[in-house]
Amino acid sequence: MSTRTLEALPWRVLWASVRGASHEATDTPNQDAVKSRAIDVFGRGALVVAVADGHGHWRHFRSRSGSRLAVDVACQSIDSFSQDLMAIDRVDELEAFAERVLIPNIIQAWKAAVASDVESTPFTRDEEELQTNFHDGPESAYGSTLLVSVSWGRWVLLLQIGDGDIVGLLPGGEVLLPMPVDPTLDGHHTTSLCQSDAAKVFRVSVIDQAVKTLFGILMATDGYGNAQAIDEWEPAVASDLVALIRDHGTAWVANQLPDWLAQCASSEGSGDDTTAALLVAEMEGDAKWRNANAETVKIVTPDGTSSSPEKDPSGTSGHRRQDGHPGEKRSVIQ
Amino acid sequence: MTMPASRTLMPGGGVARRPLHFIVVADCSGSMLGQRMQSLNLAVAEMLSHLAAWERDQLQAQVMVRVLAFATRPVWHVPEPVGVSELHWKPLQAIHPKAGSSEVGQTNMGPAFREVAAALGPDRLESRALRPAILLVTDGKPTDRAGEFEAGLASLMSFPAGRSSLRLAIAIGDNARSEYLDRFIGDPSIPVLLADNSDEVAERLVAVSIAVSRMSEEGADREALAKQILGPGSGQPPGAFDRETIV
Repeated sequence: MSTRTLEALPWRVLWASVRGASHEATDTPNQDAVKSRAIDVFGRGALVVAVADGHGHWRHFRSRSGSRLAVDVACQSIDSFSQDLMAIDRVDELEAFAERVLIPNIIQAWKAAVASDVESTPFTRDEEELQTNFHDGPESAYGSTLLVSVSWGRWVLLLQIGDGDIVGLLPGGEVLLPMPVDPTLDGHHTTSLCQSDAAKVFRVSVIDQAVKTLFGILMATDGYGNAQAIDEWEPAVASDLVALIRDHGTAWVANQLPDWLAQCASSEGSGDDTTAALLVAEMEGDAKWRNANAETVKIVTPDGTSSSPEKDPSGTSGHRRQDGHPGEKRSVIQ
Repeated sequence: MTMPASRTLMPGGGVARRPLHFIVVADCSGSMLGQRMQSLNLAVAEMLSHLAAWERDQLQAQVMVRVLAFATRPVWHVPEPVGVSELHWKPLQAIHPKAGSSEVGQTNMGPAFREVAAALGPDRLESRALRPAILLVTDGKPTDRAGEFEAGLASLMSFPAGRSSLRLAIAIGDNARSEYLDRFIGDPSIPVLLADNSDEVAERLVAVSIAVSRMSEEGADREALAKQILGPGSGQPPGAFDRETIV
């Protein structure tokens, strides 16, 4: 377990990622990815959290890389446009900026990253033949979902393509489901960064905390929701999470999270790779951060590994950033 | 909030495998009386035991079974989803057009499809359920009034769960193979399974259990599996059910 400090951010993020039992049985790696980046724009902090789920289908044979590239470019893209983003102070303008600037940029950056990966690791002849037979472009091999949250000041901007869940936790334990429903997500198919019209199927939501104050946000790949015994599980999970954080503090929850996800990923649950990031908001006088030391951001991985914070080499743009992403030592976190 | 034994406190209602709903639609018309019905009952029981074994061995699905018997009218034999390992098979019997009547039933498939459609309609399945599987077993061509077969099938196809379902059909005897069963399946890569005698009925149902299990798995290539498991020269059972092939 590792802990780091990011100033001026009233959020903590806890995460874990566990390889699914079905992937263990077939010796397939964890194809989920998760990453966060704290950005400081002229003293104003923003927290970016990205979660991605590489498709399990054999036609998406490099989806493990695809999900990692997705969370990388999401953090980078948001960082690049953070000054413009944080200058906006209206819901409709934030949505428009996301649709006009952020989403196209993320997709373009992901495709560029895929092209670069293919250049460094060319497809084999069999892989090329497979792609030809199915008329798949190179991006198809890297197919992945992507869930992104950007939190600063009173605002939370949420972006999502594909399945998985973003669940808002309200201070009273109620649930907020902020993302528009995508009727094409039938549990068997998902929208994807690799599809040609990816920009059209991204979903966007903005939460103005001046109107609806958040206690926290749960972002999870579909291995989490598909493991829940209750069909409409979000209200119960939200209520319980708020109660557990209030009663035990974030440090306790951080310790439990890998075990909860392991249950979801087990043969008693979905059997699928399961990744969740839990953002917890600080509120004045709130005791939920007790037992969590003095740090404002705590990043937890199942084996306690984490990369070193990354300083923005430019240093002159007016922002600095600190990255966190799962460590390289453990194969279950990819 | 759940607290399973030896587990930590877990938010929500605990975890469970994804349901795989499997609906058997069994012809119980007059022509099925006697040996065919007996063979079907024995074969279904064997198929369920294979599915229960698969359920124990794999890591993702919980197989939930329902059985709809049909003749002139459909009647649920197992109306509510029952875990395959918990289902105690009670033999199917012929359905008479009217209760208490000795008249034999027709082979009206349209009303049966409507009944299945109602079971798979909006909000009837869990949102996390795997795509359902439907098996139609019959020894005859549909006897529906004009347009009834089509209307029933359209009803089934009108819901996402019906459209995405894996639909399989077993034709018992020479008379059953028909374009109607191909239309029910709706996938040229999946053939109608033919069974000319009681042994073949059992073998085909075991093939169905393999198809249902493997083709429901995440990332399954249905077309390739259909050829491998159900297609000509697939080396169908006996002996085809093999743990190594389905896990």
